[in-house]
Amino acid sequence: MINDNDPATLTISGRLLNYNEAIKSGLATGLKFTQLMDQLIKTHDADELVAAATELADFQLDSDYVTFPHQYSNADYYLLFMSRMLELHDQGKHVMLQSRDHQEELTQQLTPLGDRGTFNFRVETSANGGVFYREKATGQSLFYLNLDRKMFRFNSHALTQLFIIDLHETVPADTVKSSVQVLVDFARYLKEDYGYSVDFNILDAANRQNYAVRSADLPAGVVDRLFVAAAKHDYMLTNGANGNGARIELDKGVTVDIFNNQLEGQPEWVLTVHDDEQKISWFDILLRYPFMRDWYLENLNDLEVVSDPLIFS
Amino acid sequence: MENQEQQASAADVLTQAIANKLDYLSTLQAAVQHGDDRQVYELLDQVRYHKEVKKTRATKTVNHLAELVDNIHPQISHYLSDRLIDYLGHIYPFFYYDEYTTGLFHIYFGNWWDRRLFGDLDVINVKFEFDQTEYQKLQQSFNLESQHQRLNTAQIEKISAQSEDLQKLMDAQPVRDNQKTKLREQLKENSQKSSLPWDSGKLKDERQGIIDQLTQLADQDEKALNAHKLIKKNDDQILVLSKEDTILNYEKQSIRDAFDDFEHFEAHNQSLYADYLNSLIGKSEGGVKADD
Repeated sequence: MINDNDPATLTISGRLLNYNEAIKSGLATGLKFTQLMDQLIKTHDADELVAAATELADFQLDSDYVTFPHQYSNADYYLLFMSRMLELHDQGKHVMLQSRDHQEELTQQLTPLGDRGTFNFRVETSANGGVFYREKATGQSLFYLNLDRKMFRFNSHALTQLFIIDLHETVPADTVKSSVQVLVDFARYLKEDYGYSVDFNILDAANRQNYAVRSADLPAGVVDRLFVAAAKHDYMLTNGANGNGARIELDKGVTVDIFNNQLEGQPEWVLTVHDDEQKISWFDILLRYPFMRDWYLENLNDLEVVSDPLIFS
Repeated sequence: MENQEQQASAADVLTQAIANKLDYLSTLQAAVQHGDDRQVYELLDQVRYHKEVKKTRATKTVNHLAELVDNIHPQISHYLSDRLIDYLGHIYPFFYYDEYTTGLFHIYFGNWWDRRLFGDLDVINVKFEFDQTEYQKLQQSFNLESQHQRLNTAQIEKISAQSEDLQKLMDAQPVRDNQKTKLREQLKENSQKSSLPWDSGKLKDERQGIIDQLTQLADQDEKALNAHKLIKKNDDQILVLSKEDTILNYEKQSIRDAFDDFEHFEAHNQSLYADYLNSLIGKSEGGVKADD
């Protein structure tokens, strides 16, 4: 029997009320979560998709009173987001999501690459936030994504290690090219549709793109080695424009320049790729011309194209 | 009277001499104004012009008039270079010129990476002044062609062989380590053997033999320790040599494309003055005026 005047029972009912409120709020969080999941999985509106993903990225589903035993990790929502984003651009078939039985953990494959690569996102635990998209077997982080800061950064080191070195023997260049194209398209949608700041790095096919190399003050011997190697393959490394650096024409209308971009002050040696249609990136050069690949890899310590130093170090 | 006459004739002679100079200078000036490079060249060296272009034996007496313009050679050279370099561009398409100071020109061979500074162009005398070291390298590499060799082939092979030996020395480290362990054991055994007087000589020899072998192995270890650095140094040296061979190969190819062989190239250089001036005559015939 409840006696309203009894301070002891008052406390009990008060506690129950508080408890009830906590559960309600926990359930509300759960409901909100299911709405966002619906939105992430079903929406046909790209804006809603991005909004849902951004909220889910750091969503806290559990509360003190309500916990959910079966949960996907935040990283998995990024995979869903990526798949849906591609789907909304009619590219859905280029990635395959996989979940293992009895385990709420998603992985992804790039359709052209198949089981030669398995990918997921790894949440960055530092204050920077964001996630790294990585290949699970090799641990190579191919790009960094931060939905809050609208940032996307490709990683030249990982792209080179995985696609130019590790998979070189087993995967044909065309397959590598179409696999990487999926990632490029994803980044492109974020840039074009949502104004993301995207660094395509060695995948950037624009002629104006300067690929800065690791040794800003490049030793002359590195260019000499290309000169000798090129001659052996019937290409000629010529003097660069105004005598600065060197140039090689690889095909009609396809030229690679290597030169110092800062003639005053600290040197900054860069690579550029010019082609009439602006379709060829440094990555493509590495795929297409074996002697250029050999030269790059043999001098990787000096030549590796720099990625965003704030993200990849 | 006589004195006066002498005075008058002295004045006449001098007047005439000055008139000759004035005449020379105004003729030169007119030639420049009319863009008649052929005549400018003739005025600069009448003896050579008559000998090599007109092919007349009766050379005019040397009049030294050309010395009048010695100190404006840079300007004359600068002026004449335009047409000359244009002409050279057709015949020697692989030479590039850089006017590093008024009227003075460096010759670069080719447009490839790190092309060589190949000498100077003497515009006034229509002559290449090739850098002798560079020129001889080119000549030599033409000579070596019949043996299917490049200038630095032998040296590169020598250095490569050395690197290979060094690599072997490094690779054989475990083998040597094994040998050393065995030898040290032998040494221990040797020292433990009873030293009977009639055995002592033999044991001593055996001991020395082991120590010698150990010393030899230690020497090789030390060499192996430095091998990595040496191989790197050799690689750098090979790069320099292969680069030079590559450049020489491009130079040879350029000369073959334009002249078929080195002999024709040299022959063209020899007759360059006459060839160029004859080409100017050919042009001025259809041009503004044809003197002579």
